[in-house]
Amino acid sequence: MKKTASAFVSEFMVYLLVLAGFNGSVWLGTVWMRHQISETAEITKQTERRLVAVERRLTETTVRLASEQSPQTLESKNREMQLGLVRPAELHIVRVEQSPEARLASLRNFEIFAKEVTTGEVSVRFSSVNPGTR
Amino acid sequence: MSKGLASNFRLVLLSTAVLLCFASVGVRLVHLHVVERERLVSYVDRARSSITKEQARRGDILDAKGDVLATSRTVIQLGVDPQMLREEDRPHWPELARLIGQPLEQLVATFNRTQRVSQTGKTSLVRWAKLVDEIEESTYDKVRDLGVKGVYGNRSYRRTYPRNQLAAHLVGFVNREDQPSGGIEAFADFYLRGQDGWRESEKDGLRREMAQFRKREVPANDGYSVALSIDSMVQHLIETELAYIGETYQPAKASIIVTDAKSGFLLGLANYPTYNLNEYGRATMDQQRNTAVTDLLDPGSTFKIVATSAALERGLVTPRSQFDCSIESIEFQGRVRKFMPDDHSYDHPLTVAEIISHSSNIGAAQLGMRLGEKGMYQAARSFGFGEPSGFPLGYESRGLLNTPDKWSALEITRIPAGYSISATPIQIHYAMATIASGGELLRPQVVKQIRDAQGHDVYSFGGVARRRVIKPEVARQMARMLVGVTEEGTAKAAAIEGYQVAGKTGTAQKLIDGRYSKRNHVGSFVGFFPASNPEVVVTVIVDDARLDRGRLNYGSAVAVPAFRRIAEQLISYLDIKPVVAPESQPRLALEGAPW
Repeated sequence: MKKTASAFVSEFMVYLLVLAGFNGSVWLGTVWMRHQISETAEITKQTERRLVAVERRLTETTVRLASEQSPQTLESKNREMQLGLVRPAELHIVRVEQSPEARLASLRNFEIFAKEVTTGEVSVRFSSVNPGTR
Repeated sequence: MSKGLASNFRLVLLSTAVLLCFASVGVRLVHLHVVERERLVSYVDRARSSITKEQARRGDILDAKGDVLATSRTVIQLGVDPQMLREEDRPHWPELARLIGQPLEQLVATFNRTQRVSQTGKTSLVRWAKLVDEIEESTYDKVRDLGVKGVYGNRSYRRTYPRNQLAAHLVGFVNREDQPSGGIEAFADFYLRGQDGWRESEKDGLRREMAQFRKREVPANDGYSVALSIDSMVQHLIETELAYIGETYQPAKASIIVTDAKSGFLLGLANYPTYNLNEYGRATMDQQRNTAVTDLLDPGSTFKIVATSAALERGLVTPRSQFDCSIESIEFQGRVRKFMPDDHSYDHPLTVAEIISHSSNIGAAQLGMRLGEKGMYQAARSFGFGEPSGFPLGYESRGLLNTPDKWSALEITRIPAGYSISATPIQIHYAMATIASGGELLRPQVVKQIRDAQGHDVYSFGGVARRRVIKPEVARQMARMLVGVTEEGTAKAAAIEGYQVAGKTGTAQKLIDGRYSKRNHVGSFVGFFPASNPEVVVTVIVDDARLDRGRLNYGSAVAVPAFRRIAEQLISYLDIKPVVAPESQPRLALEGAPW
């Protein structure tokens, strides 16, 4: 059957509507995508801003810490809090010339033998071994 | 037959209308995109384009232990746009005034000043009025929590010095125009400064950046950190000592220098008077000057090491060679030359070692005469006098040392004793450091490492010897003779039991109105220890100290006790081990046996 002009126009209108619907969907999709991009970019910006703020705080804390650790501040706190801390002088220093291990061992041995002398307890006993029992 | 959706006429009408609509839209689009394109694009670009500068953070200055001497932190300049203020925020104004430490009346006056009149009589709206120059982040958070509309802050980096005056003359400062002035700040500005970044994007109607339209982004490169050889504790020790000297003796100026004997790196350098780096605007030029490198003085007897070392180096004398130091004049190159008198008279000829330990001007002059004028001049130059020491931070004086052709007849008797020559404290210090290092003249150095933002070393500096001045064995002989100064000579108060302290006192009369003053002296002591294996070199120079009961500012009066106090503290802080000489080996050997 031969198509009339009206039928052609109707068909054309249907196609046009479908195309409009398709284009609309594409545009909506594009807008949604752009919105998502914009939101992601905004989140990135916020994160960057927070990072910068954290770095600023970190610097501020570093400055405060460095200031608190300065010898001048420590000395003034020592005075204010009456801690009585003084710098070590040669008089306060005992220089250990021998090996620390040997020194500690001799100290320990000295303590053991001193205890034996005062209490009469003997921590180390030597017993004679009968050659015949071997 | 069905007519479908519409009649022919209606369809034609509808289609024509639709086509006309499309055509008009198309025409408008062509007009906008082709005909008006350039004008509109430039307008949109102007309105929406945003180029944001990202400021690079200036690197830190650290000491040898990594403690921060200078750093950059953000500060907020708080201001107000009076046009944006709301009546409902008025109850918060007193709290705002309290937070920023300003009287309420002053704050209200700033808020109410909504218009300004220019010089031409034109009235304009005030859109920004400064409230306070600098507030901290934590305070700014509280200000924002108040929610006063129109009050906001602009952030910027500000240089701050957490240790105030510590090492002020070495660190230098950055002024409010972000220009470095002196010290490491100026010297290492290239490394510290960093490179600003920028970002090109678009902004919305409220001037907020639309991050999705970022086109180009160049991140900022933060500056490198500079690690110094200065030890904060050593620096603090010497600054405390200088403060004590300043308070007790009120000198015109004073300097203390401490260096590593082997590498020549500065461990501490301080001057009196000094200033607080965070308040540089209040400091006078005299306070800001690093007098240890800028100011000249007669080295006095500390210079006697030059003539003695050179005479030993050239084999002209031995430590046991004797000189008659009771004479008043001597014939030199066919002319009679009168000596500078000694403080003491000697009934026996002095050995070279005794000339050093008793600091005889007559003996030193005779050693100079052995060298001859040219030899004496060359010896002084080789020890670094009359030329810049290479101190990296600039503003250094080269000193005054005339060539022999300009010497008067008396100068051969004066120069070996440290007169008629001018030098900076750092030149005097490094001349002594030459003996401590085993005969090499070292370059003063203060920067140890350049580090990137992650703390990795970008560049490391090592000790640099400028030249060899004397042989190591001559340096050892000199060190032994200089121990005699603290054991039996002019600086007995500098001796520390168990340590071989080598050093030389110096007392120079000040030249006032063309005459050497008998009341005004520069007293000094330059020494190192332990002499057999030197670890540190310390110089104390005090200019014009005022002593009680008419005492004069001899090197032994102020500088020697100061040296001892510093040395004792350095021994415990740097853990310098005592040197116990074997019983069979005398501590002060005049010649021969090595340590």
